[in-house]
Amino acid sequence: MNPTSFQPDASGKPVGALADGLIHVRGVTRIYQQGILEVHALRGVDLDVEEGEFTALAGPSGSGKTTLLNVIGLLDQPTAGSVVVAGVPVTGMARGPAADFRLATVGFIFQAYNLVPVLTAYENAEFTLLLQGVDAAERRARVTPLLERVGLGDLMDRRPHELSGGQQQRVAVVRALATRPRIVLADEPTANLDSETSGELLDLMLELNQELDTTFLFSTHDPAVIQRARRIVRLLDGRVDAVEGG
Amino acid sequence: MLWRLAWRNLWRHKSRTLILTSAVALSYGLFLISMGMGDDGHQQMLDQAAEGAGGDVLIHAQGYWDNRSSDLVMQDGDAVLAVTAQAPGVRAAIPRILINGLVGSAVGSRPVLLMGIDPEREKALRDFSEDVTVGEYLDAGTRSDPLILGATIVEKLELELGDRVVLTATDPDGEVTRALFHLTGVLHSGLLEMDEGMALTTLEAARSALGDGGMLTQIGLRLDDGASPDTVAAHLRTTLADRDLEIMTWLEAIPEMVGFIQLDDAFLYIYMIVIFAVVAFAIANTFLMAVMERVREFGLLNALGLRSGGVARLLLAETILMTGLALAVGFALGFGAHLAVTHWGIPVAAWGVESMEVSGVDFANMTMRSKLNPLKWTLASLGVALITIGSALYPAYRASRLTPADAMRFYE
Repeated sequence: MNPTSFQPDASGKPVGALADGLIHVRGVTRIYQQGILEVHALRGVDLDVEEGEFTALAGPSGSGKTTLLNVIGLLDQPTAGSVVVAGVPVTGMARGPAADFRLATVGFIFQAYNLVPVLTAYENAEFTLLLQGVDAAERRARVTPLLERVGLGDLMDRRPHELSGGQQQRVAVVRALATRPRIVLADEPTANLDSETSGELLDLMLELNQELDTTFLFSTHDPAVIQRARRIVRLLDGRVDAVEGG
Repeated sequence: MLWRLAWRNLWRHKSRTLILTSAVALSYGLFLISMGMGDDGHQQMLDQAAEGAGGDVLIHAQGYWDNRSSDLVMQDGDAVLAVTAQAPGVRAAIPRILINGLVGSAVGSRPVLLMGIDPEREKALRDFSEDVTVGEYLDAGTRSDPLILGATIVEKLELELGDRVVLTATDPDGEVTRALFHLTGVLHSGLLEMDEGMALTTLEAARSALGDGGMLTQIGLRLDDGASPDTVAAHLRTTLADRDLEIMTWLEAIPEMVGFIQLDDAFLYIYMIVIFAVVAFAIANTFLMAVMERVREFGLLNALGLRSGGVARLLLAETILMTGLALAVGFALGFGAHLAVTHWGIPVAAWGVESMEVSGVDFANMTMRSKLNPLKWTLASLGVALITIGSALYPAYRASRLTPADAMRFYE
């Protein structure tokens, strides 16, 4: 599909059959060049995600989960195909505008090394707000309740190395949500956590999804996590193998 | 936040930051004190050279300075002296008769430069009495034909105080003339040129030897502090235009000293450029390594919405902070060394230099101190800051070119 068909109309909403969706991925291919080898990470992926979904991208290692999240989050550009996020065709978007778009629209939670090591939990959590130019009082008003909400009210002044893995991921969740993004993309958010902490983090994400109506799209290969998702998109060898729920 | 983040990043690797900061600070501090000592040394050379030349401004009969011929004299020397003494900016006008000749004793003869001087007026420039270690100085007035000879001449000619000494020279008419003197003192300056070839007498005795009452070979002018030799020389060239005189500043008289100082300055700057090139490469290399090991972090910041330029600015901010710290420490080191060297001084002789003389400048007897030239110190500081910050530009550029996915995929 031609990306221009995703252009928003006069009311600001995307036109066409996909106008009401939040994420539209059409025929996305991503090929990496590794020396003389071509690695096909994605092979013509089509995917639609609606507002407020809590969707898991499931699949084994190398199935293309992270690559698909990167393409949707504008961290990477597809070799072919088109992507529309929140009504904006983002394929081929320049790096500067892409950074601005991410800041305004997308929250990220990564598997590891998620926080800036020299900043405290509070400073990490407010970092994206700071980039948006939000003033100190407003930042405090937004970040403090969220940190308290995730049980880190007493640990706000700690640096990442003074926090457990689960606590660090909770800070990352707060940072991802502080800007009130429409989408939170989480790449294997529970991969480095034990099962109990993993369960707690997933509970938190689900609660926030329901409370704030924020769309969560996360990758995982953990069956225990997959079964908590309301919708599961199974990837295999860079293709959508199956879609369950929704 | 950018500066706070940069400051904290700087101290993530304390030892690395301290080593880098120390390298820049030490280089910068050394640069400052080297420059301070160089400037002071040059000033001392200039002062000594002016002293050795005979004054800040010199006046001779036309052609004397190139030929140094005893027959080239200012016939109306006293009249010229009176005019120059009244010129604006002149602190003292010092009359001299300079005669190249031979002094002889019973055992042989030696070539000398005989200076006929007014001992009191000469003190405005230098006091030879301090170097007269045996006998009496010219101002004692015990004889009408006194002669002070360099120690080496006295030794070679086997002379003793009170001995008769014959000077043979050419008079202003080109005739060979002989004059009789009595040895009244021995000069021991430590300078080879003076001890081997200098003879001093009074202005009157010299004039008497040459048989002319009012002539002078040289008038040396000592200027007021801050007065420009060029300005005074230009003024006198106008005032004395009707006379056939050569009027020169001491810099024009001994241009080789200016060349020597320029050469010395050039060596200092080349030396410092080499040092700072090494430091700059070390900084660039270290920052590049720091970029490579933090690629994932830069990718994360970019993923969160910090533009590529912001990543580059973060690295530059770290460099600016490190440079500021290094300059502060380096300035403290350099300025502290400047104060210490200025207060205590470093005698050149203490470094084993026994004898070194260029254009009448006695390096062996110099005491090195430091002179603060605010303009040069400011320019040096700016130069160091530019080199240091400039060395981080490439690493910052590299950091700004990373795409978040590449950064986070390949550097996990």
